[in-house]
Amino acid sequence: MRFLLLLALLALSAWAQEPAAPPPDLSPEVFAIARELRCPVCQGESAAESNSGVAVEMRRIIAEMLEEGKSKEEIKAFFVERYGEWILYAPPRRGVTLWVWVLPVLGLALLGLGLFAYFRPKKPLPPELLEEAERRLKEPPT
Amino acid sequence: MRGWLWILVVLALGGLFYWGMQRNPKELPSVLAKERRPAPEFTLPVLPPYRGEWGETFRLSDHLGQKPVVLNFWASWCYPACYEEAPVLEEAWRRYRDRALFLGVNTQDKEAEALRFGEQFGLTFPQVFDPRGRVGVDYGMYGVPETFFIDREGRVVARHAGAIDAATLEKYLKEVLP
Repeated sequence: MRFLLLLALLALSAWAQEPAAPPPDLSPEVFAIARELRCPVCQGESAAESNSGVAVEMRRIIAEMLEEGKSKEEIKAFFVERYGEWILYAPPRRGVTLWVWVLPVLGLALLGLGLFAYFRPKKPLPPELLEEAERRLKEPPT
Repeated sequence: MRGWLWILVVLALGGLFYWGMQRNPKELPSVLAKERRPAPEFTLPVLPPYRGEWGETFRLSDHLGQKPVVLNFWASWCYPACYEEAPVLEEAWRRYRDRALFLGVNTQDKEAEALRFGEQFGLTFPQVFDPRGRVGVDYGMYGVPETFFIDREGRVVARHAGAIDAATLEKYLKEVLP
């Protein structure tokens, strides 16, 4: 019973850890899209997290475009049109930036191959060599 | 054979690393300037001291196709970069005013502070007011100050990010002036 209570408490606290609700004036959908766009004046922050003027304006534009009935892809294209693909937080999976996605997998595969080669079971020694060794072990030391 | 392969791999990785270190992360491409796109259109209110000469609102398309345009985004809170370049721009404007149009776009600022900035540097070229910074997004602006050079056909030829100095301004002006 106590265990169940503890579990319930844990679940409750995990639920309370949900990301803070966005300010009521902008819908969560705005933040979901903004999270995929880079804040132009920040270092490693998305347009959803930053409070810089540009990021605030970007969220406002996203909200306006959503109201106009634009889709997520259309909104992202709007920013790519102006800033280039740099504005996308995840580099597109084609062209030069495809390498960003492929290289880690390739690296892991190479590492796996290397490890396999290193730890591969060695070829058993030829039987006559083993026999010879055993014979010598049995021989009394001279 | 295998030894050579390893040397090749190490050399390739080293080369990639070296190339990455040579790149300037602050050097951001301008889609507009790279593709020489037509300057995005906007209509913005003119700051009060400039209304007598330029009217209540400024529509960019009314001024394109005649003279090249130097479009400067600034804000009074952008210290020191905007404070460094303001006298440079004013000086160039006085020299080139009959051959090129200079336009200041005050971005994400308060009007009173923008007016104080204009007064402090005695800016005589037209200044428009964009408190939201919407036009900056259309120009793919990263942050103030940024200066765009628009040629006589209304195409963006170059973008300079950061405070502009007299020599750089001169160089870009030569590119857009007939």
